Amino acid sequence: MTILQVNQLTKIYNGHTAVHPLDFSFEANRCIALLGPNGAGKTTTLRMLAGLLAPTSGTIQFTGLNGGTDRRQWIGYLPQYPVFYDWMTGKEFLMHCGQLAFLSKAEADIRSEDLLKRMRLETARNKRISGYSGGMKQRLGIAQAIIHKPKLLLLDEPVSSLDPIGRREILTLLESLKKEMAILFSTHILTDAEEVSDELLLLDRGRLIEAGSMKKLRGKYQTTKIELAFQNDVAHYQEKLQNLPGILEVQINRDMLHVDATDISVARTVILQAAAKENWPLTSFVINRTSLEDMFVKVVDQHATMDHSIS
Amino acid sequence: MQQWIILFRKEIQENIRNFKWMWVPLVFILLAAMEPVTTYYMPTILKAAGGLPEGAVFEMPMPNPAEAIMMSLAQLSSLGVLVIALISMGTIAGERKSGVSELILVKPVSYFNYITAKWASYILLLLTSLLLALLASWYYVTLFFGSLTITHILGAFLFYGLWLSLIVTISIFYNAWISSQGAIAAATIGTVILISTVTSVFGTKLSWSPANISGHIHEMLITNAVPSALYGAAGLTILCIICLLIGTIFIFQTKYASRKSE
Repeated sequence: MTILQVNQLTKIYNGHTAVHPLDFSFEANRCIALLGPNGAGKTTTLRMLAGLLAPTSGTIQFTGLNGGTDRRQWIGYLPQYPVFYDWMTGKEFLMHCGQLAFLSKAEADIRSEDLLKRMRLETARNKRISGYSGGMKQRLGIAQAIIHKPKLLLLDEPVSSLDPIGRREILTLLESLKKEMAILFSTHILTDAEEVSDELLLLDRGRLIEAGSMKKLRGKYQTTKIELAFQNDVAHYQEKLQNLPGILEVQINRDMLHVDATDISVARTVILQAAAKENWPLTSFVINRTSLEDMFVKVVDQHATMDHSIS
Repeated sequence: MQQWIILFRKEIQENIRNFKWMWVPLVFILLAAMEPVTTYYMPTILKAAGGLPEGAVFEMPMPNPAEAIMMSLAQLSSLGVLVIALISMGTIAGERKSGVSELILVKPVSYFNYITAKWASYILLLLTSLLLALLASWYYVTLFFGSLTITHILGAFLFYGLWLSLIVTISIFYNAWISSQGAIAAATIGTVILISTVTSVFGTKLSWSPANISGHIHEMLITNAVPSALYGAAGLTILCIICLLIGTIFIFQTKYASRKSE
């Protein structure tokens, strides 16, 4: 079921287009990662969805929300650097947020206690927020975002400022939240995106340049490489490999040879046969899929050259 | 309405925890009570400090009770304005700068509630301070210069409270508009000075000007009747407050998104 439809969403700041017309839709209980380098327009997009920034043009439509109803009731939002009322305690802040979203006092109390427990903040519930650590603030931030059980949770770089343990915690949490609501989170760290998201939206300089499931993107952009390492100097073997049938390109990368081939399984046989015949001092033979980072750079690059050729 | 109360309570709670509910009344009481006390003891102070030539005859006219109360109000008009500008300069701008307003305004909070709850909390703080200050001043005035009825004091409180409320409203208005807190304080004080200057230059023609309220209060204290110009000035002040509040909400709204689902 589609819960949100975004049509031609655009933001222009003083003549500079931060977000070009953007179209996408959301399914309920899906986790979507908004990926892109710094300055790609991720935060702007999230803020427009959250209702904190007026779009220059375009529409954001929730399925089942009557015209005129406030869409913020259905949205939870965590900014990249959440700031709280430092003079409040964690519990007080959650109560405040809950009641602002029209929970009754009793409901807000139950929900706050529940979330404090879930976010492992119950021992700090009556401590002033000014004394919270970065990880605790991030967890409190998520708690305040979901206190009113929104249908769509928007998170701006939820894990980039955390240490590995905090990161893991938040990712596990997102995994469990997926059952309750749709999640859209922005990140520039690809492994995080891969871990929890079902779908990716790739943004670059305000344009949506690729969208789809991880699997689809892998199929489209991922190539396979063979990596070889030798006991002695690799340069010697570069030419030999180049002359083998079916090999496209051989590159030296530090003390490894990276081999690109039209058909990896054919190349594997050819290389191993040659190695056996000439008794190459191989120390490693690895068939490697291109990393997500490589894929990311490739998509962005491709897009940039396309851009260039147009202009 | 429930949401408005939640926001209002938060403002009160915040101003209790940062001690504004303690020091603002104290400063107001001090400003208002110091005037009658120092005026009364001035001859004694001068004598004790010396410096007057031998045999100099030094006569200081003692003010009548109405004049003495007016001296207290004059203190509040100058330094009180500064206090108002300083305590309210960050109420919206500060929250926006720190980023905490992002968390609040992404909840289904109506901008009307957000602005008016803040406004009302500062009005309550300042009117309470003003009332305490006038009561303190009244005590010393009665002690030193003669009696004034409580009705006089309450009348002065009511009308002078309107003038202070206008100043709070001006500050809240600039809060929605300007992002630098220093600039907000400066603009607030500047506006008040401008209103007062224009009023004193064209005083007779602008008898309904909010800045003339204290002058009319003086007349009221002497004549024991509310002059019609005071009603006029009060009405105009209330009108200004309402218009400014509407303007504030409008400006604030345009700074944020259209949050309605299309």
